[in-house]
Amino acid sequence: MPAPLEDVQSFLAGAFQRPLPVESEPALAAACGEHVTGNERLTPAEQVDIYRRQFWLRHYDSIKDDHPALLHVLGEDAFEAFCQAYLIAHPPRTTSLRDLTADVVSFAETYPGFPPERRGLAIDMVRYEHAFVEVFDGPDTPPLDVARLQAVPESAWETARIVLHPLLVRMRLGWPVHSIRFAVRDGTGPELPSAPAPVAVAVYRKDLVIHYEELSDAAFELLEALALGTPLVPAMNRIAEHADPSEAAALEADVGTWFQRWASWGWIVDVVE
Amino acid sequence: MIKQGDVKRLGLPDLGVGVGLRIPHYPAIFEQSPKVDWFEIISENFMVAGGRPMANLDRVLERYRVVQHGVSLSIGSSAPLDREYLTKLKTLHKKVRSPWVSDHLCWTGVPGANLHDLLPLPYTEDVVRHVARRAREVQDFLEVPLALENVSSYLTYTASAMTEWEFLTAIVNEADCGILLDVNNIYVSSYNHGFDPRAYVDNVPHERVVQVHLAGHTNRGKYILDTHSDHVIDPVWDLYRRTCELVGNVSTLVEWDDEIPAFDVLLAEAEKARVIRNEVERARAA
Repeated sequence: MPAPLEDVQSFLAGAFQRPLPVESEPALAAACGEHVTGNERLTPAEQVDIYRRQFWLRHYDSIKDDHPALLHVLGEDAFEAFCQAYLIAHPPRTTSLRDLTADVVSFAETYPGFPPERRGLAIDMVRYEHAFVEVFDGPDTPPLDVARLQAVPESAWETARIVLHPLLVRMRLGWPVHSIRFAVRDGTGPELPSAPAPVAVAVYRKDLVIHYEELSDAAFELLEALALGTPLVPAMNRIAEHADPSEAAALEADVGTWFQRWASWGWIVDVVE
Repeated sequence: MIKQGDVKRLGLPDLGVGVGLRIPHYPAIFEQSPKVDWFEIISENFMVAGGRPMANLDRVLERYRVVQHGVSLSIGSSAPLDREYLTKLKTLHKKVRSPWVSDHLCWTGVPGANLHDLLPLPYTEDVVRHVARRAREVQDFLEVPLALENVSSYLTYTASAMTEWEFLTAIVNEADCGILLDVNNIYVSSYNHGFDPRAYVDNVPHERVVQVHLAGHTNRGKYILDTHSDHVIDPVWDLYRRTCELVGNVSTLVEWDDEIPAFDVLLAEAEKARVIRNEVERARAA
């Protein structure tokens, strides 16, 4: 009496996800023979192992596609170890390979296997490259017409809520991973920095192309406040409270230019008065 | 009652010879508007909310016929059908208006695990009934003909009680659905499991074949791996010729998914298929 389909598939699914060759586990190899025929060239365990190797290759390649710069930072062996550890902790569950790295940021933040001298850089790179995955095929949202932005009366900025594009990803980084990734994609194989260099960046999509911009501390803080729903004037006042007089004056002078740029880049999608 | 299977190609059109739509070829397609009968898309690549994938698909749909081919239906899984996936598939179909939708006669995972692979099934009566029931359900939900593709495989089951082509035939007859006959997969599986590939081609219900796939593979000696990374080899072209003789002209698709060559190389491969089709048709008319 053949085993129920559910049992056969459950057994094989488990075998395909083993990190080591099937033949290295004698009990597993023997159990393969209960379900799989083998032939004169390959044992049942060897036939099962073809699928096992393909499982790891396919998902390793998928992670590599999304994290080319992390591969550069870690090197092949450490990157492969990271991928394997990630897939063991977060095996693929959905039909879309796009979802494969949904948990990669939280995983990286506690992953003990990064070389100590590369840990901060690696975590920042995971965060940064994950932003590209999020932004790549997210839903389109039309940008706010610049004329509409300019038509908002000055008095309204005390209370008006600025709505940022849902695919605008902002982050503070300890390392210049944006420059490293750009160089990796450019094929120049950059040297890795030996010391941190804090930077704030925004990742966004415009006209189907993903871009990044470095942000000043003040611009980053302003965007964060706006994203929380704080109206513009109160947000600026809060930032100015922690700044010296010259920085506060610069903020007031810069914000108009920022808004023009942000609007042209599609970062602002609505103003709710 | 007249079933779909009484009519050649289930009454579906012969679209000619097409190629898979792949990212590296977009520049050539958009800049040169090459003469291509049709493109096949992997449905899952376009089941996204927006961005470049959907923009590219919209541009292709302006000029070309597109047919959907999926890899995640998992028609043979013991897990329930994925309703969310089917809904997204149907939504995509409303945009693409594919004359049929295809996927593989396989399973891709179990509850809680998606292996992203096309895994073969045991060839038993129970599995025939299981798969046929699900295929009918999918076809009814999608409201478009479904075609099931034979997969290449690297293992066979101790439980199997019939040949693969008997298994495929029983399912498509019971489900009243179509066949996407992948002649490269037939060749790969025949090498790996020691059967005569012509027996496979000869014994499927030819009126249910609505599409054919052609592709290359990688021979590793003890087995062939279905890599879709090379030209179609002569024995596969021979199987394709035999298929054309038995089925008649049928929508044919050349796949090349890895180590993707320049677009003109892919088109040249498709042209070989067209030459064979034309030769067979001339011989039939003579």
